[in-house]
Amino acid sequence: MNNPAIEARGLKKVFTPAIRQPGFKGTVRSLIAPEHAEIVAVADVSFTVAEGELIALLGPNGAGKSTTIKILSGILTPTAGEVRIAGRIPYQDRIANAHNIGAVFGQRTQLWWDLPARESFAVLRDIFKTSLADHARRLDELDGLLELSSFWDRSPRHMSLGQRVRADLAAALLHDPPIVFLDEPTIGMDAVVKEQVREFLRFQVAERGRTIVLTTHDMSEVSRLAERVVLINHGRVVYDGGLVELQQDYGSGWQIRVVVDDDAALRDVPGFLAKEGAALVFGGDDPGEQRRLVRLLTELDVVRNLEVRSDDLEDIMATVYQRRAVPVAR
Amino acid sequence: MTAMAAAARRWRVARISARYEVSQPGRVTGVAVQLALQIFLMWCLWRALYAVSPTNSGLSEAQALAYAVLGVLYTRLRGPDRSIAEDTVAQHVREGRISYWFLRPLEPRHYHRLRAIGDQAYGFAWAVGGYLVCLLVGLVQKPVSATALWVFLVSLLLGQVVLYHLLAITDVATFWLVDNTGVIGIIAFAQSLFAGAIAPLWFFPGWFQTLSSWLPFQSSFHIPVSIYVGRIPAGSAARDLVVQLLWCLLLSLVLRWLWGRAGRRVIVQGG
Repeated sequence: MNNPAIEARGLKKVFTPAIRQPGFKGTVRSLIAPEHAEIVAVADVSFTVAEGELIALLGPNGAGKSTTIKILSGILTPTAGEVRIAGRIPYQDRIANAHNIGAVFGQRTQLWWDLPARESFAVLRDIFKTSLADHARRLDELDGLLELSSFWDRSPRHMSLGQRVRADLAAALLHDPPIVFLDEPTIGMDAVVKEQVREFLRFQVAERGRTIVLTTHDMSEVSRLAERVVLINHGRVVYDGGLVELQQDYGSGWQIRVVVDDDAALRDVPGFLAKEGAALVFGGDDPGEQRRLVRLLTELDVVRNLEVRSDDLEDIMATVYQRRAVPVAR
Repeated sequence: MTAMAAAARRWRVARISARYEVSQPGRVTGVAVQLALQIFLMWCLWRALYAVSPTNSGLSEAQALAYAVLGVLYTRLRGPDRSIAEDTVAQHVREGRISYWFLRPLEPRHYHRLRAIGDQAYGFAWAVGGYLVCLLVGLVQKPVSATALWVFLVSLLLGQVVLYHLLAITDVATFWLVDNTGVIGIIAFAQSLFAGAIAPLWFFPGWFQTLSSWLPFQSSFHIPVSIYVGRIPAGSAARDLVVQLLWCLLLSLVLRWLWGRAGRRVIVQGG
């Protein structure tokens, strides 16, 4: 295993927002003697990410994903626990850390709203003190991957969502950071742009060796991009491991629905569950048994229709969240 | 060469708000028309007032008009309206985009200062342009003496530093007042009112002037302009300059302290 790019140990973050009572009286009171609630956004999060690895950080809304990403990127200081990003403590060493990381936070753009994107890129070049030659070379590569030049003379105000996110991805990578945090980058984008972004991320990991932490609610994105997932719920890690293992451990198994001319002989085949309308339903946990059954059925002349189903990743996630009340021991 | 390159980099960051405005001719025209209208209204108002009484609160008509016109120009020193470009600190804090400020190899307070200086310099250029036009058409007279001019310039510089700090403190306060846009509006109004930019402080009751003298706002405008129009004689302005200087120092300490607290307190909306 490579050196860890990201190490998080026992992260905890408690927010204490002011509570405002309704009405004018409440407003005055909140100004004079504010009351504070205590919200535990992250209770106990530990994981490591190796250099050049892409992980998907998943969890339901309010699980603590975004707070975790903000701690990792150095924006928030944890209430307890430790973080190291490429060996540095991000919230203590922000300036040096800034060169190591890039980030896109959903639909929140870091581009200047009324400047053409190319000018925003130039401002970032000045802020990161990137040389003109390096900037031009990187911008050229990013343009090739994200087709930026067709819209980079427009300001974000006049861009479509897909264009803006592509411009933001470019902005996050212009200083060539080895570690990238992406908090729901493809939210609300159409299928074509989503695929372009996924291809872009695959390239960044495979060819540029970047480490990427991605949060998303799009499970097809997870299955296409990530081999490893970290699931967070109620501020705790409830699963950390391979996607395939997750499906095996928490999936409800395979299911085959078949419509045949004469179903009498098939009712005795192992795995038969029930007849639903015209279809016979088979199911089980053993993938080997599933393969044997598919071979058997495809050789039968009486088969009119055959449908093989596996668990939807979203269903698996829901199962994990419900079942794993106790966090994983690491 | 390195120093030159560093200066060029800072310049390109500082000019961002100005770029918003100059790249849209409609906005530039709008600002020019608005300024011209406001100055015209001031001229109408003060002429009408002085038609009734030739001298008020120790100010002649010319002095009062110059003070009021410069007050209009002063409002431009806040720089271009960044809210149209969704680029005020309050907007960044409210919408969570302030996060990006903490991901760059430039301290948020340094970035803010560069932008603020750029905005103020751009506003100052507008004010100087407007002043020259007003001088040409006779709405504003030249300073009474060369000494008055020099003392005014020193006071103006100190006033600009005070104004920068006042605006920056309001900006940083938005880290705490994220849900209180009304409070931010009141602070901005109080700054203009106590600075004398809405109406000359000489016309306010004694208690108001006493209150104002204990606040920093009048250092940003009332003092330099009073020196300019001769209401504060240049020869006896030393005390006022010292007051301005003290406010510069005190406000810079307050701003520094606030930035330290703000950095620790960054709370981004949403989870």
